Amino acid sequence: MPKIFHSLQTKLTLSFVLLIVVISGMVFFYTFRATKKALKDQLRNELMSTAAAVSAVIDGNAHARLAPGDEGRPEFRKILEQLRAVQGNNPDIKYIYTMRRTQQGPEFVVDADYGTGEDTVKIGQLYQEGLQFPQLLEGFDKTSADYEMTTDQWGVVLSGYSPIRDSLGHPVGLVGIDMDSKDVVARLRVIQNSIYYLIGIAIILAGIIIMMFSQTIIRDIKKLNQTANQISMGTMNIKLDVKRNDEIGELADSFSRMEASLKIMMGQDENHNERVN
Amino acid sequence: MTELAQKVLETTTPYLGPASKIFLDRQTKRHMNGVVFDYLEKNHLSDLSRWVLISAGLLIDKNKAKELAEKISTLQAA
Repeated sequence: MPKIFHSLQTKLTLSFVLLIVVISGMVFFYTFRATKKALKDQLRNELMSTAAAVSAVIDGNAHARLAPGDEGRPEFRKILEQLRAVQGNNPDIKYIYTMRRTQQGPEFVVDADYGTGEDTVKIGQLYQEGLQFPQLLEGFDKTSADYEMTTDQWGVVLSGYSPIRDSLGHPVGLVGIDMDSKDVVARLRVIQNSIYYLIGIAIILAGIIIMMFSQTIIRDIKKLNQTANQISMGTMNIKLDVKRNDEIGELADSFSRMEASLKIMMGQDENHNERVN
Repeated sequence: MTELAQKVLETTTPYLGPASKIFLDRQTKRHMNGVVFDYLEKNHLSDLSRWVLISAGLLIDKNKAKELAEKISTLQAA
């Protein structure tokens, strides 16, 4: 192993950098997870409120009567206009539609995009994939929203659902809203990057500070080591120049005392005294 | 050894270690007209303090030597 890895300075610096990485990593994961959850919860609540408000104004009896081929009927047009009005007022809504339950799975009834493109749905179009989304199925009975964002070729969306009820209060369908989540994703990315930068700066600063700090310790330990080496080789006319008030200073004092004692015992102080005289 | 000599030795040991007695013996014998350290008296202290300042200053840090010399000097008043 190279000598640099045995150095106290390297060990101290690496230990502190590792410590900073571990602490900041933990802070990062906690902060990021909490922020992500808060942003998602905020979006879910917004989605559920909007879906509930829309479902409350839809005529459940008319919705229940709509059958395939009824796209020209005034009841269909009315619900379509209601959905389009909500979509027009909220640019973050990507898709808004109504559905109802069938034995095969959920089917579309009114889609706000009806008649505007090739891939718009008509009354009675099955959405069998919907069986895989528990929050969608839950939405036929109570207001709900997805917990995770769905990423597909149209972007990143989070969906919310609220039941449509008839005049007797029985659920006859649901309103589904797919909200564009790119803002949330962008906000999360900004937070993530900011935390990365902060961790990077913290590591660099901690590294510099600990390197400077350890350098002063190492410098004095090196002086002690050099002096010990010189004395062990018989050179006694040296003076230790370490002035500190910490444990290294105490070690230097002990060392100095030992050196003075050795000089006295070896009679080296007499030579000095003779020079003084 | 007189009580005063014992006190001076105890004061000096933290600065010069186990060789303090040899050091103090030499200071009194060589610079104070052959005074025997074991029979040190109060009137020797100011001379001893001066020589400790000079001689210990050559062995240890000058500030420490000054500190030791002052401590020895204050034993006079004790």
